[in-house]
Amino acid sequence: MKLQTKYFGTIDYTDDELLSFSDGLYGFEEEKSFLLLPFSDENTLFSLQSVRTPGLAFTLMHPFSFRPSYAPVLRSEELDKLGVEKSEDLYYYVLCTVREPVRESTVNMKCPLAVNPDTRFGMQVILEGDEWGMRVQLGTPEEQGGAPC
Amino acid sequence: MLILRRRAGETLLIGDNVRLTVLEVSDGGVRLAIDAPKSVQILRSELLQAANANRDAAAKEAASPEKLLGLLGSVPEEKKQNL
Repeated sequence: MKLQTKYFGTIDYTDDELLSFSDGLYGFEEEKSFLLLPFSDENTLFSLQSVRTPGLAFTLMHPFSFRPSYAPVLRSEELDKLGVEKSEDLYYYVLCTVREPVRESTVNMKCPLAVNPDTRFGMQVILEGDEWGMRVQLGTPEEQGGAPC
Repeated sequence: MLILRRRAGETLLIGDNVRLTVLEVSDGGVRLAIDAPKSVQILRSELLQAANANRDAAAKEAASPEKLLGLLGSVPEEKKQNL
């Protein structure tokens, strides 16, 4: 199928490439189907392209490329919903807010997207505790980076 | 701001038709029961913050996302995720 995208023009995709978020994302509850399109071969930065809305794409990051110690722990009902037994069975992506200069860009470490790589079913979660903030600046060193904002 | 102390099992009344009961207090958390008309919206505040953060992330970028690549390290082999 063809899809008009925000960053990559019109692309071809098949249904098995889709990621399905049955609850949508917070504030975007109607957006349930996405394609994950990498910006580079390194697989650190992606565009999460909405299938429903061509102009809507979130910039996602591989959180471990930013904070290698990142280890989200989900609630048991979230794990059940995603069909896995433990948090480590899931893939995680975090949303970036891109700013200029880019060092001031922020990432939402508190609300990662968790994806079951086998079913391609995902959900956005809000991590418990105050270890991670919703607007962690990309340009900050690790010792300060986890502070909530 | 009004601050007061309640024990498990005790109730607060807010206005004429909202009842807030403390069900259980355990380490680090409290379970509340809220009895309110359907028209009263009850939202965990972090849901609203998460929605606002997502809206900011979806807004038109100040710079091309590809510029972020220079700031990112590489991913350790054991953490690689390939969907």
